[in-house]
Amino acid sequence: MAQVEKFSYDNAIVRKFAYASIIFGMVGILVGLIAALQLVFPALNLGIPETTFGRIRPLHTNAAIFAFVGNGIFMGVYYSLQRLLKARMFSKALSEFHFWGWQAIILAAAITLPLGITSAKEYAELEWPIDLAIALVWVAFGINMFGTILKRREQHLYVAIWFYIATWVTVTVLHIGNNLELPVSLWKSYPVFAGVQDALIQWWYGHNAVAFFLTTPYLGLMYYFLPKAANRPVYSYKLSIIHFWALIFIYIWAGPHHLLYTSLPDWAQSLGTVFSVMLIAPSWGGMLNGLLTLRGAWDRVRQDPVLKFMVVAVTAYGMATFEGPMLSIKSVNAISHYTDWTIGHVHIGTLGWNGFLTFGILYWMLPRLFNTKLYSQKLANAHFWIGTLGILFYAIPLYWAGWTQSLMWKQFTPDGFLQYGNFLETVTQIIPMYGLRALGGTLYVAGYFVMLYNLVKTVQSGAFIGDEAAEAPPASTWAVHAGKEHWHRWIERRPVQMLIASTIAILIGGIVEIFPMAMIDDQVPRIESVTPYTPLELEGRDIYIREGCLGCHSQMVRPFRSETERYGEYSKSGEFIYDRPFLWGSKRTGPDLHRVGGKYPDSWHYNHMMDPETTSPGSIMPPYPWLLRDELSTKNTAAKIRTLQKLGTPYPDGYDQIAVDDLQKQAKMVAESLRKDGIDAEKLEEKEIIALIAYLQKLGTGIKPAPQAGN
Amino acid sequence: MKNKTLKLILAALPLLLFSADSWGQAAGEAGGNPYFYDSLFSYGMLFLVAAVFIAALAALYNLLNIMVKVQQIRIYQEQGIEAYVEETRKPEQSFFERLYKRMTNVVPVEKEEDILFDHEYDGIRELDNVLPPWWVAMFYITIAFGVVYYTYYHFTGAGPSSTEEYEMEMERAEKAVQAYLSTQANQVDETNVELLADEQALAAGKSIYEGKGTCFTCHGMYGEGGIGPNMTDPYWIHGGGIKDLFKTIKYGVPEKGMIAWKDQLKPAEMQQVASYILSLQGTNPPNPKEPQGELYQQVDNAAPADTSSTEVKQEGEAIGMQ
Repeated sequence: MAQVEKFSYDNAIVRKFAYASIIFGMVGILVGLIAALQLVFPALNLGIPETTFGRIRPLHTNAAIFAFVGNGIFMGVYYSLQRLLKARMFSKALSEFHFWGWQAIILAAAITLPLGITSAKEYAELEWPIDLAIALVWVAFGINMFGTILKRREQHLYVAIWFYIATWVTVTVLHIGNNLELPVSLWKSYPVFAGVQDALIQWWYGHNAVAFFLTTPYLGLMYYFLPKAANRPVYSYKLSIIHFWALIFIYIWAGPHHLLYTSLPDWAQSLGTVFSVMLIAPSWGGMLNGLLTLRGAWDRVRQDPVLKFMVVAVTAYGMATFEGPMLSIKSVNAISHYTDWTIGHVHIGTLGWNGFLTFGILYWMLPRLFNTKLYSQKLANAHFWIGTLGILFYAIPLYWAGWTQSLMWKQFTPDGFLQYGNFLETVTQIIPMYGLRALGGTLYVAGYFVMLYNLVKTVQSGAFIGDEAAEAPPASTWAVHAGKEHWHRWIERRPVQMLIASTIAILIGGIVEIFPMAMIDDQVPRIESVTPYTPLELEGRDIYIREGCLGCHSQMVRPFRSETERYGEYSKSGEFIYDRPFLWGSKRTGPDLHRVGGKYPDSWHYNHMMDPETTSPGSIMPPYPWLLRDELSTKNTAAKIRTLQKLGTPYPDGYDQIAVDDLQKQAKMVAESLRKDGIDAEKLEEKEIIALIAYLQKLGTGIKPAPQAGN
Repeated sequence: MKNKTLKLILAALPLLLFSADSWGQAAGEAGGNPYFYDSLFSYGMLFLVAAVFIAALAALYNLLNIMVKVQQIRIYQEQGIEAYVEETRKPEQSFFERLYKRMTNVVPVEKEEDILFDHEYDGIRELDNVLPPWWVAMFYITIAFGVVYYTYYHFTGAGPSSTEEYEMEMERAEKAVQAYLSTQANQVDETNVELLADEQALAAGKSIYEGKGTCFTCHGMYGEGGIGPNMTDPYWIHGGGIKDLFKTIKYGVPEKGMIAWKDQLKPAEMQQVASYILSLQGTNPPNPKEPQGELYQQVDNAAPADTSSTEVKQEGEAIGMQ
């Protein structure tokens, strides 16, 4: 080695992301725990809108995914990328911008989500200004990563970096695709696509947020940190290649499995099913390469907490990626969808795979950043066992709850009646399971605090190495490859081609599914009687969105006897053409609401919102007294109408000018009907509840005659 | 010998095809039901061809075996009988051991130096193990599943669509319910319902009223009214006889928010709760809602046992009166 260049790794940025991940991980799971407890004790929202389940659920998911796992990804990428490429990060300024920009976005999310500022799209709830900021920061991260790749001293890219590249490009595409929206005001926008098209795009995004934010970057981290921690060679290079390309190509197709038996056309649903089943092997390729890398090191797994965490993480990954395809089979999905089974399933992935892999990495990496040893192996082992127990106590009750509730929903008596005609019966039945789930969450949180203590002590005992010295031969010494080598080595030397090939791989599935849905009109058969929302209904709908009602209520009656008996005619795609965004929901903690229009009198809804227990004793829905108290803002009504007109909703020309008048007229009628039933309040017709009632009474009436307003 | 069989079969194949064609034609000309014979013959032919095909495969397999044996004998002739003895001395592996070995096909840890790639990333080396054969098999099986599934449901049109599935489910359920009901005694409906007065029935009615019927949420815990009308006074909007009440509960008055209960309460339950409601007449609970509708006259409210025959009249047609 004649030529060796000396340089250093930037550990300071790694430390920053590590700290952020630790702190936001704590916040994320604590908010999750509060949400879990609210399902048992609804009063735990303390009567405050900002802490009510519908608003903190997205806070929990966003904190866990984008703050905890997000910062975890960046921590691991910034650490491993430099070392795998034998190069310092491309730009200190970009690193700093990336870090502080991402934390600012998290802060913005933490403020806006409790305030009810949301686009209602799961895992993409943030409103358009924050969406733009995310795009900006993500691009900065991309430039920083590619800058580093281009000035690397290692000729070939290791498999971890393939995963980082695929992650980067796919998240970019998904984020832009799912956030095509037209602003109404600074904090309100409507999506470009409506109804069933919006749903398909959302779950193309939602599913692949799981795939390309929670999975592929973490597979990349696994490919670096697991062999490092085990000090073993990676089991199979060939397996890496095949499972990488198969995974990123197939994953993108599987989104429609979130929409089985909905109004999405069957051809698209079936694509979701078959591609999900085909995903088993590519997913398991990652698990196998992880677990088999530990061959010859299993004796160490028994002692080393780092390896223990990694083994459980990879195993949880394998379990979740087997269960996912099973849940995508329509007959299984008919049981699991809308129940807690899904919640249990995703938490095996997040608590097990993402959580435990992050913990393993932290226990392995932090001592190295601080040139010290882990403060206590014992405490780390304790964390491992408490955390594992926490996952079991979390998941098992939810599986049980999901099966129980689903069976109750579907149970008929021999004379043709629903055995549990009152939805609430199926909820009260599983509340003890919710209690056990909260216990599991508490254990997981307790383990987290044990880790926190251990890591703080570790950090205190060491001296931080901000710039870690390294040396490697420069790029000018790279060999020219001409002879016999594995065919894949070619692209491993060419990051740009790697980027292009991954982009093509991930675009195909999305294009095949979304293009016909978005462009061909007869995919969504029109229904003449379906009309746009009136201004009052529209404002009511936006309140429904603000309060996060869709966190617990679906608006999608599936074509099952048990659902049409309970709710009414199954939902048709043509009914949703004015729904921006679609509000089908993904979980039924309460009953479906698509056919609720006209089912109850206005006064029922009024009383129900004031205190759900008066109309539904034992209900775990929190009261919404502020809807009865607060006045409806019509400041943006005209702008909303104009925005929707631009997007194609057929309001008459100039309707925005008279929209507020129309709104007030309809509000008066609703208020009158309430007064007839003995409900009165000062300025009743100006309250938010009036708009919400109008919206609820409109739901699902597109294919049946609407009740006479005010009658 | 085997070769002869194979040749024979192969020679017979086109012959069979030709003869099948003439049989089919003959059947068509002979009148009767040509479709029946067509399908009979085409199925028969299919089976025949399949049988011949399988037999041909078996013959080929035999041929292959013989060739391998011949090759083996040649090897032993060249290398002496020692090689044969050596071969037979190896311990026999069980089927599962062999299957496991074949399905995993992994280089043992002790020998992995041989398959270690020379590249290295920050100390991470990679092995050149082949793809686990069971994993490859699983991948192929899932792909085959995908192709078959999609073909079945979308290219052939054989599989039912979601809505067809739904219609079939409803049909099956309808039949099952009808079959069950035919085994049951006469059903209560609005033409034959009678007022119940026994305590057990009224208690059952009360628990429905306060429980799964959730009547109290609109009509008050004591029938005093609220969102819905007072039911303790003698004024009724849709008639105050047991048959009227039964009908109102069963079909609801959707335009006023009274939902139809026929899908949630059984006829007997509606009878019980209607009877319970009528037992509240004249109880004068606190906070009563003002009377609505018209005074309903019954000949004798105190003698409910034969109400069905003593109802004088019903004030107007109950449903859709206004």
